[in-house]
Amino acid sequence: MLTTSCSSIKPLEVLNLEVKREPLGLNSPDIAIFEDLKWFIINSKNSDEVFAKLEKEKMDPVLFGLTDDGYEALSKNFAQIRHYIQKQNLIIESYKKYYEPEIKSKIENTPANK
Amino acid sequence: MLFFGAIAAAVIGGWLYVKGLQKDLAVAKENMIKMEQAHEAQQKVIAQQRLDFETIVETNRKINETNKTLQEEFASLDNKFNKINSSGKKRDIGVLAVKRAPAIERIVNRGSKQAVRCVEVAMGDPLTEKEKNATKKSQINPICPDLVNPSYVNY
Repeated sequence: MLTTSCSSIKPLEVLNLEVKREPLGLNSPDIAIFEDLKWFIINSKNSDEVFAKLEKEKMDPVLFGLTDDGYEALSKNFAQIRHYIQKQNLIIESYKKYYEPEIKSKIENTPANK
Repeated sequence: MLFFGAIAAAVIGGWLYVKGLQKDLAVAKENMIKMEQAHEAQQKVIAQQRLDFETIVETNRKINETNKTLQEEFASLDNKFNKINSSGKKRDIGVLAVKRAPAIERIVNRGSKQAVRCVEVAMGDPLTEKEKNATKKSQINPICPDLVNPSYVNY
């Protein structure tokens, strides 16, 4: 009697707990407003003319110079910074789509991420 | 009397045994249902994992494609500075700036504005209609056409 009244099969207990994380929901930073800048080309022949022009336009007669190689390097550095921004945007957007697919991102349709 | 007692004990024992079996069967049925549910949940997890994997592959493909485009763009910038002209000589912006300072000044200032515009767009500034619709070389931003001029096809 003792052996027959005790069941050998135990009921299974399955626990499912899902707690969704609150989305971070950060906004993209504001787009920078760049100031205009003007380049002056100065060489051994036109320096007097350029400085005269500066004085005429009430600007300080001084220029911060780069050589042609320096200008090329600056252009490439600037391009690399821009590429870095584009890559970072794409990575951030990919993470957002992967982890928060239901949230429409602000930068989703920006040209940088198409 | 003893005989009837033995019979009664056997009947009660048999009844309890069957009851025990029925209980076991009920628990086994319940377990089966739970296992089926767990199986179903696991199938869902596997499907989600497959979807995640596909998303990861697609994302990596997109990132590689972007990297390739940016590398090409960078190489093109390098070519702009060191282009070989029709007489087989390498373009030297320094020599040009000595010979034709005002023209190079105009080109450099225009290029500087275009480069700044590229960064603005990279940061998320929307394209203007003019930028969106530009299809000719004379209309595009030559620093980053892939970014600023989506309608332009390099020819």
